[in-house]
Amino acid sequence: MLRYLLLLVALLLPLNSFAITPEEVMKSSQAAFLYPGKDFKARVVMRLVSKSGSERARELTMLRKNYGETGGDQKYFMYFLRPADVKDMAFMVYKYPGKDDDRWLFVPALNMVRRIAAQDRRSSFVGSDFTYEDVSGRDIADDTHEITKEEKFGGSESYVVKSTPKAGDTDYGYKLSWIDKRTFLPLKEEYYDKRGTLYKVFTAEEIKEIKGFPTVVKRTMKNLQSGHSTETVFSKVDYNIGIEDSLFTERYLKQPPKKWLD
Amino acid sequence: MKKFSLVEFSVNHPKLVVVIAVLITLGFLTQFPKIKTDTNPKNMLPPTSDVRVWNDSVDETFGLYEDTIAVGITSDEGVLNERTLGKVLRITNEVLLIEGVAARDLNGLPTITNVTAEAGTLKVAPLMAELPKSVAEMERLKKDLTENPLFTGRVISADGKTTAIYIPLEEGANGKAIADRIKEVVKKEGGPERYYVAGDPVARDTFGAEMFKLMAIFAPIAGAVMLLIRYLMFKDLFLSVTLMMDAMMSIIWSMGLLIALGFPVHIMTSMAPVFLMAIATDSMHIFNEFYFRYREKKDKKAAIIETMRAVGRPVRYTALATAVGFAVLMFMDIVPVKVFGAVVAFGTVALRLLSFSFIPAMFTFVKEEKLKKVASGEDASTGMASGFLRGLASAGAHSPKATAFICIVIFALSVFGVSRIVVNNNMVEWFKAGSSVRSADAALNAALGGTSLGYIVAAADEEEYIKDPEAMRQIEGLQRRLEKLPVVGKTSSVVDYVKRINRVLHDDDPKYDTVPSSKEEIGQYLFLFSMSAKPSDLDNVVDYPFQKANIWVQLKTWDAEAMRAVMKAVDEYKLENPGKLEFKPAGIAYFNLIWNDEVLWDMLKGFIIALVVIFVILSFNFGSAKWAAIGYIPLLFTILIIYGVVGFMGKDFDMPIAVLSCLSLGMAVDFSIHFISRLRQRLSEEGPAGTPSNESLTDALLWTAARPGKGIMRNAVLFASAFSVMLFAPLTPYITVGAFIVSMMLLSAVLTIICLPALIVLFRSRLFGGN
Repeated sequence: MLRYLLLLVALLLPLNSFAITPEEVMKSSQAAFLYPGKDFKARVVMRLVSKSGSERARELTMLRKNYGETGGDQKYFMYFLRPADVKDMAFMVYKYPGKDDDRWLFVPALNMVRRIAAQDRRSSFVGSDFTYEDVSGRDIADDTHEITKEEKFGGSESYVVKSTPKAGDTDYGYKLSWIDKRTFLPLKEEYYDKRGTLYKVFTAEEIKEIKGFPTVVKRTMKNLQSGHSTETVFSKVDYNIGIEDSLFTERYLKQPPKKWLD
Repeated sequence: MKKFSLVEFSVNHPKLVVVIAVLITLGFLTQFPKIKTDTNPKNMLPPTSDVRVWNDSVDETFGLYEDTIAVGITSDEGVLNERTLGKVLRITNEVLLIEGVAARDLNGLPTITNVTAEAGTLKVAPLMAELPKSVAEMERLKKDLTENPLFTGRVISADGKTTAIYIPLEEGANGKAIADRIKEVVKKEGGPERYYVAGDPVARDTFGAEMFKLMAIFAPIAGAVMLLIRYLMFKDLFLSVTLMMDAMMSIIWSMGLLIALGFPVHIMTSMAPVFLMAIATDSMHIFNEFYFRYREKKDKKAAIIETMRAVGRPVRYTALATAVGFAVLMFMDIVPVKVFGAVVAFGTVALRLLSFSFIPAMFTFVKEEKLKKVASGEDASTGMASGFLRGLASAGAHSPKATAFICIVIFALSVFGVSRIVVNNNMVEWFKAGSSVRSADAALNAALGGTSLGYIVAAADEEEYIKDPEAMRQIEGLQRRLEKLPVVGKTSSVVDYVKRINRVLHDDDPKYDTVPSSKEEIGQYLFLFSMSAKPSDLDNVVDYPFQKANIWVQLKTWDAEAMRAVMKAVDEYKLENPGKLEFKPAGIAYFNLIWNDEVLWDMLKGFIIALVVIFVILSFNFGSAKWAAIGYIPLLFTILIIYGVVGFMGKDFDMPIAVLSCLSLGMAVDFSIHFISRLRQRLSEEGPAGTPSNESLTDALLWTAARPGKGIMRNAVLFASAFSVMLFAPLTPYITVGAFIVSMMLLSAVLTIICLPALIVLFRSRLFGGN
């Protein structure tokens, strides 16, 4: 509805009559990148590479279910497989737009579920270069957006959107995103620190279409300052598999259902 | 002989010689704008040295920064109040914006990772991202700070009056610019809080600035002092300036060459100008003799040539001895020491070249009547100074046994003093007490865990072993052991994180402030921690495959010996508690220890080489090992007395003193060379060959003490006055050098004039018997 309204407004404007607004680009990108399908499942392998080339691996199964529209509530379930000593650890997130997540963690060694405070969305996700926000998304209304240019990137026509956080509580000053005009997936993101220096780069390395949804199956985040980088590969990706609501409870944190964890 | 032709050529073509010398000087002068300095003590050892390679690999494995600036904020009423915390927060936010600051890893109250449990919820987050808004929040912060052992001694002092911000710098960042910017930021916040900006980069850059001050202000002052004293001695401005020019030219040549070859000026090389200025005083002997000769001959040209003939040999040999004394340094392992040795050796050779060309050439420009006036004061028999020297020498020559006895007593005392020498090096003490670097360091050391950082790297032979409770307990035991040492302020390791999480997960029950009993538990705790903490929190203390752990050891002193005590305790612990982990020291404190040892060892080696080489030169010069041995005694005695005094004073035998011991040989030997050469010359001129009679020997000794002795004394006084300027230098190594050289020159001159006559009389038959 909003989209049509915006379109109508755009049509009435004499200039830029058919242009898409930067907010729309970001909204579409959020839908394509973080909200496709009713639900989603993937086996995630993260490779954390230090400056000296040492590696750490993280492997987990991720399940996600959307509630409502794009930008609405979501629930995540992460079940860790690697490193070996954290096997059976499970992590559950209720994500709400405009307020803090609820997070729970199951610690198998203590057979205990703990709530975890979700204070800083910009903190590292399991020690990787991705932040929690990179994994689960950022509210579009938190930033001001601006299309700085349109250019071909990696063979795809894309919008380059500059997003500047409205509040100063982020670790970066602004972000440039290259959004594919066709799939609306982010192809590349550049993070500039508050001094205006580029320091972190996200790249969508490989995109596959799964059940009609273009999906970034391989991505990297490289921190140019620390020299650290993280590569994330999705396999066994599936959409609309019918994840039930009951999964996202403490009970299944302790004993995750086998059928989702192959 | 070749040298004589150079002198004659210079006397015959004085203008040409002067023009050539000035042109060469200007040529070297053009190199000066390219000057670079290097004040990083790390560069004392080459980047390929074992300790640097190892330290670099440790830095890389654990994501550590080479340079960190620490800002201490102290308030007498405690820092945990809204006003002070507000300042801390604003300072932190501003510092984060400074170019070159590794913002992601800055640690202070606002950013350091805190692990707490509140109403059943685990929280891993920055401790104070924003100002506490209520009394309850402030109380909460106080509780977190006091309960978490990771904070006390690091970001908060035990008495709550001091907090610190640790600001790591990106590789290649300009430490001085950042420190200056930080100082501006804290200045803006103002009192009543006191601020201390400390850390390696600050010390290094302050040192660099002081070093330039020394070169730009102290070296010229030393020159001016020498000029003044020369003027008082010779009452002729033109000649005094000529002598100065001799020194200036050699300084410009050697420093110009150094810069042209692309070497940075290091703390050692910054001292080269003052050394060269002092070495240039040797040309005093030429002047001294010239005045005597001129009085006798009344012909300027002939006097010049005769002077050079008389003093040419000793001057050449003293130059050779000095040059060799410094050139020996080129065989050392410490790079800046090598460079320093080469620069001074080159400068010494340049000086001598100028002595045989430029100086005789300049002599020809002096008006005859002026010379007459000055030279009239120069009479070995009537001059006051000469009379005094004659008196000194006669004491030695007439009562050789008493003189020898007194010497033996002083010798014994000195040996006792030397036995009390403590070998140590403390780089913060290179700054004067009361300097801002020293007081910042002292303030932070008093309040927090210690500013000097060492690491103990624990390594297993299998991956994942660090997560084993056995490994954790071994590390924890070592930490407790090290913390018992008085020099250790604080230790931290991965174990502290594990224990903290264990406690927090068990509803903050202090009973669980222990190492968990299973590997799974530890692994899961660490994973849990890494889920929200800054990646560097874990990276700094454990490597990727969990095969190595890094124990941070904060030392309360920069004494090199402190790290030795830590390493000894580690070895003992390992012996008593054998486990699978091997421990290896690293970090800047370890580097300082290694470097200290290497310098001392290097210098000892250099000292021995210099001893041998100078003995050979002396033997060659005197054509006799016996004379060389006699000439050696005042020299060795001087050094022994100085070290005896160092021992009695309780001053640490540190790097500057070690370097000096090596250098002093080449310089102190000059007086013996002059004295013995001229004595033997006199004997051969006045009497028949063979053993001289007691009487004629005493006569010759007294003549030597009075005439060349005056040159020796003038040389020593000049030398000492030039170096005494360094006593007022802003950095202690320069003060040490100044005090050492002043006392060495005066002592060796006096000892030469008193002891040599006594020894020569005592050993008369042996010395002359062989001839």
